[in-house]
Amino acid sequence: MKTKFNGFLTLLLVLLVQITFAQEKTVTGKVSDASGPLPGVTVLIKGTKTGTQTDFDGNYSIKANTGAVLQFSFIGMKTIDQPVGASNSINIVMQEDAQSLEEVVVTAVGISRREKELGYNVQNVSAEQINAKPNADIVNSLAGATSGVQIVSSSGEAGASTYMTIRGSASITGNNQPLFIVNGMPIISGGGSSGVGGTNSSSRSIDINPDDVASISVLKGGAATALYGVRAANGAVIITTKSGKNLTSKKIEFHSSYGIDQVSQLPAMQKKYAQGLNGTWIGGNANSWGPEISSLEYNGDATYKWDPFGRLVPEGTGNGTPAKYYNPYDFFQDGAVSKNGISISNGNDQGNFFFSISNLQQEGIIPNNEYGRTTLRLNASTKLSENSTFGADLAYTNSRAVQIQKGSNVSGIMLGLLRSATTFDNSAGYEFPDGTQRNYRNGGGYDNPYWTANNIKFDEDVNRFTGGINFNIKFAEWFNVSYNGSVDWYNRRYRDQFKIGSRGNPTGYLAEYQYFGSVVNSDLLFNFQKEFSDDFSTKLTLGNNFYSSYGKSLFANATPLSIPDFYQLNNTSNNTASSGVGQSKTMAVFADLQLAFKDMLFLSLTGRNDWATTMPEANDDAFYPSASLGFVFTEIEGLKNNSVLSYGKLRASAAKTANIAPAYQTSNYFFAATAGDGWTNGVNFPYQGQTGFEVGTGLGNPDLKHETQESWEVGADLRFLHNRLGLDVTYFKNVNTDLLMSVPIANSSGFSSVFLNAASMESKGIEISLNANPIKSEDFNWEFVANFTKFTNIVTALSEGVDNVFLGGFTTPQVRAVVGQEYRSIFGEDWYRDSAGNVLINDDPTDSYRDGYPMTNTAQGLVPIGDFNPDWTANITNTMTYKNLSLSFLIDIKSGGQMYNGTAFAMNSFGTSERTVNREVYYNADGSINFNTTPAQNLVVMNGVYGHIATDGSTVSNGVTNVTPVVQDQAWFQGQGSNFGGGPSSAAMEPADWVRLRDITLAYNLPKIGKVLKEGQIYVTGKNLWVSTPYSGIDPETNLSGADNAQGMDYFNSPGTKSYMVGVKLTF
Amino acid sequence: MKKINNFNIKNLILVFTLVLMATSCSDWIDHDLNTDPDSPADVPMNLLLPSIQQKMGYSLLGNDAVRTNNIWTQHFDGVDRQSYTEARYQITPADVNNLWSSVYTGMMINTSILINKAKTEGAESPNFAGVGQVLMATTLGITTDLFGDIPYSEALSGSQNILKPAYDSQESIYGSIFSLLDEAVVNLSSTTNAFQVKGDVCYNGNVDKWKKAAYSIKARHTLQLSGKKGNAAYTDALAAVANGFSSNADDLKVPFEDANRNPIFQFMEQRTDIRMGGTFIDMLLDSNDPRLPFYAAKDSDGNYSGSAAGSQNPDASRPGSYIASFNSSVSLMTYSELKFIEAEARLMLGQAGAQQAYEAAVAASVLRVTGSANTAWLVANINGVPVTLQNIIEQKYIDGVSTNQPYADYRRTGFPVLTIAQGALIPSIPVRFPYPQSEFDYNNENVPTVVLTDKVWWDQ
Repeated sequence: MKTKFNGFLTLLLVLLVQITFAQEKTVTGKVSDASGPLPGVTVLIKGTKTGTQTDFDGNYSIKANTGAVLQFSFIGMKTIDQPVGASNSINIVMQEDAQSLEEVVVTAVGISRREKELGYNVQNVSAEQINAKPNADIVNSLAGATSGVQIVSSSGEAGASTYMTIRGSASITGNNQPLFIVNGMPIISGGGSSGVGGTNSSSRSIDINPDDVASISVLKGGAATALYGVRAANGAVIITTKSGKNLTSKKIEFHSSYGIDQVSQLPAMQKKYAQGLNGTWIGGNANSWGPEISSLEYNGDATYKWDPFGRLVPEGTGNGTPAKYYNPYDFFQDGAVSKNGISISNGNDQGNFFFSISNLQQEGIIPNNEYGRTTLRLNASTKLSENSTFGADLAYTNSRAVQIQKGSNVSGIMLGLLRSATTFDNSAGYEFPDGTQRNYRNGGGYDNPYWTANNIKFDEDVNRFTGGINFNIKFAEWFNVSYNGSVDWYNRRYRDQFKIGSRGNPTGYLAEYQYFGSVVNSDLLFNFQKEFSDDFSTKLTLGNNFYSSYGKSLFANATPLSIPDFYQLNNTSNNTASSGVGQSKTMAVFADLQLAFKDMLFLSLTGRNDWATTMPEANDDAFYPSASLGFVFTEIEGLKNNSVLSYGKLRASAAKTANIAPAYQTSNYFFAATAGDGWTNGVNFPYQGQTGFEVGTGLGNPDLKHETQESWEVGADLRFLHNRLGLDVTYFKNVNTDLLMSVPIANSSGFSSVFLNAASMESKGIEISLNANPIKSEDFNWEFVANFTKFTNIVTALSEGVDNVFLGGFTTPQVRAVVGQEYRSIFGEDWYRDSAGNVLINDDPTDSYRDGYPMTNTAQGLVPIGDFNPDWTANITNTMTYKNLSLSFLIDIKSGGQMYNGTAFAMNSFGTSERTVNREVYYNADGSINFNTTPAQNLVVMNGVYGHIATDGSTVSNGVTNVTPVVQDQAWFQGQGSNFGGGPSSAAMEPADWVRLRDITLAYNLPKIGKVLKEGQIYVTGKNLWVSTPYSGIDPETNLSGADNAQGMDYFNSPGTKSYMVGVKLTF
Repeated sequence: MKKINNFNIKNLILVFTLVLMATSCSDWIDHDLNTDPDSPADVPMNLLLPSIQQKMGYSLLGNDAVRTNNIWTQHFDGVDRQSYTEARYQITPADVNNLWSSVYTGMMINTSILINKAKTEGAESPNFAGVGQVLMATTLGITTDLFGDIPYSEALSGSQNILKPAYDSQESIYGSIFSLLDEAVVNLSSTTNAFQVKGDVCYNGNVDKWKKAAYSIKARHTLQLSGKKGNAAYTDALAAVANGFSSNADDLKVPFEDANRNPIFQFMEQRTDIRMGGTFIDMLLDSNDPRLPFYAAKDSDGNYSGSAAGSQNPDASRPGSYIASFNSSVSLMTYSELKFIEAEARLMLGQAGAQQAYEAAVAASVLRVTGSANTAWLVANINGVPVTLQNIIEQKYIDGVSTNQPYADYRRTGFPVLTIAQGALIPSIPVRFPYPQSEFDYNNENVPTVVLTDKVWWDQ
């Protein structure tokens, strides 16, 4: 879609050209289209810079010589060349152009092509679609902008990571996120995988200033990315930044915004029962299974240090101050984001430049959680001669964050908040004067969330430089050479500190980390083109690529700390240090041949041969071809200029692309030894004053070869009714084979994995885009764009004898890749069931299980209990413009997929979740429920059929539906009603569908103010203001371990946010 | 062709430079880059040894093994979360993944590498091999006592592409333990060593102590076969005892320190979910045992109390300083255990000296745990009380808290008599660990199917 922004530039160009005076006559006329007069049409004397534009009524007047050619152009219309004849009046009726057909798309290795020519699906995202959104990470702003792309933000924390995949996943345990290219330079974009505890950290895509972006092409399929060879398997996001190109005078853009983030949906709590166990208040107890809060009051005992009001005692025995429920969510604050940016650009026929500087500062919803980013960019280009240009891009980013502990972690914020007893006020102080901690467990258990937010911090700082040079030399009309060489260097450091007295690190802890990462890339392209006739033309590109990646880390920690609150590595009796390195290089030669026939049939053939240092010498290279065909059948005589079907194209393509092994997988190494268990921090070296090493648990493999992805897609692009309605359909299939992975093996072999070309995976599905322009009038315009994606991503093989691979999670549940299942299935224990799949409800009064309740089947181990992958996703963007006002909103739908709500499952055990409120039960002497005294609303009948477990372990059931009423009381929830009592993870799986108003923006375009303000806009925008989901926890767009392959886990994840933002954009 | 003439010289030079650059980069793909400069491809034995010992101390005597089975033996009680689940005898295959991987991919593979290195032709270091063999036998012994049949003869050969090792019967594992220990004794007697034993955090390279340890471990496992071999087991045990430890100073222990803290200490610091068990504390209280204040901390009322199995009493005593100080060492084998073995063997064979051995065992235990002899208490409570199997095993039970041996002895002898935990999910105390999920996942054709009530071979 060509943007009104570019239209504005054109207008600007016309307005700013000096009127030249010559011997001429005045030509006047009216320009209209099917719906009436057209204002703002550019009228230019071809070959000159002289021009004007039509006024509000479509009239124009221009001085031109007879014989000159007037060029009438307008966005969305076919440009018309009209020679000036004898008449002084020229009226023009403009025809709509097949919208965006002439749009140039940046494809692989920076080759620009008209969208019309492409034999594969590429979706473009414009600057407007991203830069008014309240997201620090540009990837979040791509959510819902295209089909085929899945984006999951790991949490609502400032600086949280984001996970992006295109058309599913192509690797089992490796990277599945796309390649990011900025102005032809591959950049480091991943990161942000965090494990189940610790802190979130940012994905490195956050280092991009969204305001610098002019457009983004999302390359989805193999044919689109085949020229990237070994880096092509996950698709590519091709970002083009703004430049001073097409400018003839200065342009200053200013963009400022301010936003507020608020915590969105939160798990519901019970507010009725106090801290304690078995109906008795017990100070410091882990649970909220105490008496009713309304039956308690404080005793004012000042010697009880854990509560300023004293202990809780039965009503009438204390000081009359009633007990109360403390809302844990008062902990959260309004987050604030302010963004300011300015850019200056200019250009002339000799060159151009673009400079920008921006700053973003964000305070999170969790106190002390912060993210900040400062960016600088300078893009410049100049002509060296009539036929050669030279350019350079330099960008600097400083990203800084303070992250707070999350997830499965004794310091986790949500864990501390949601396990805290209902009657304990965490906010009444987190630290005693002696430096020890005040928390609801009388100093044990978990960190008080206020302690965590104030005394534990993960402070991260990234300084990043990306830069490159490019030049183009045109030797002849048919031959030019272009070069793009770039570096992406960044230094990331963090400091992870725990105050003495923190539960996870009672003696204090400090870690300092330094990482230097670099990517160096060089692309040299020889471009040839030839038109054999009016009907047949060819283009050929021959290229060469060098690529080098290097990463070096240094890590040191100190624990215990000697001097409190002093964080320095020497402040300890013990520190350890380690370093790591990763280096690889690849080299490639490639060719791209494009054949075009009659602007109707386009064939593109590419081939690339890659060599890689990480592969064994004997297998270090592989060849990757692709072919794609675009057939614009509406160019056939007879189908041309059809009033219903304005444009039709069929596409087909096939490609083979790949991936290579990471560094150092071809042999075995020893590493500094550590020892641990699943429970504690463990031990390491130095130990007893000496060093210790152990053999790595992964076996290397000298016989690796490149993995391959064979993909094909077919599609159609159909536009109707003068392009007012468009439909684009793509069917794709990716078959990934010989996937390189660390294959788990029986530990009794002495190793836990071996690196192999083992797995196969298949991804196939359909993408549909529908766009419409139902109303288009002078004052009111309504555009509608919808994308629909449905695909399956099935693991078809793992290594021989291996039918599942751990991707992440816990002992149970865990996320796995399993043969024959959707990639990343969640595995956990399930209830005992009968052969028909009904849950067995125990009917054997003699066994140890309670009658009337289901029973966890621990004998069968872990079974598939769901997956996060949607059945389908859709997004709908409506944009309505009335005069200077526009309203745009994006509705995002995810249908299908489940999430493990471990948060609620664990809260059950603690008696804090809302579902534990109906706990009151009375029993008769014989152990049966006393239905007279037990509140009727507390009685539930568990779903299932009667049955039990025989002594030989087999299940016995008569198939009769259970009707026994029971109460979900403390014994249930501390037993199989929660993970801690041995309940099965399957009981915590919940649907994670959603319909959300992902974005809504109301913008007002300011009228021009003299010659100073060329363009201006004031907008208000909201994000996630409305989310409808059956998921009972936090916003289900979340992931415990951040941006990694193990998706679908919620275990005290930090909550999501809804955001409000106001902004102003001014162009001078 | 005419256009070619328009090439200017500068441009031509540039193009040639680029072409040159492209071709001169043929050494860009340098496969030496794929050798990790930050990780060694080989390390000497003295750097492997402490890592093996540290792992044995932390994992075999830590939370993954000892904490669980000491809950079952009612030395401890799990009062909250996963520990409470274990207290009710629920332990899943996934729960033992960590222990299994520590044993095989941590202790045993590195021990096997160490032993092979010690046998390197031209640089033979039999003493080092002997130390490795003692450690391997110790690890195998504790592991098979928990799991029964385990892989060994085909295990640890992943680099020879044996990825699914067969399971050896426990009987054959016991055979391997004994032959490893016999070879160790020979190797430890050698005086021709290319490399002296260094890096040893247990005995600081004292080969004689390693030899005693070899005999002592042998005594443990020969006795363990009493149900299978009858008197032969006692005779074999006594033969080994004769060459075993001669005082507490010989104990095979793994130390912990400020920088690397005891596993139970870390659990109580980071998880807190166990308390001392009611059965154990009551036994100590009954006899006013001087070890009590070292085994248990005072509860919130200032007394010593235990949580009855499955009763979830968080107010009971926490583990005390002997068990759970940050620098509490853990015992792989002790002199006191050896004396209990001797006492049992002599008693069962009807030999003289059972009483003396029993009294010496308790005295060694009291001295080790409390740091003083407590002779008065011994005289009043132990000495002269006629020795019985029950006495021996109950005192061995008190001596062996936070080791794996009481669980093995309980299954072998039925002492001390334990009652099933409240809320138990199976009808009896488990008599084994389940096999790990990782073996079901990746070695399914070999891993036996068992339930927690299936006895291991020597218990059958």
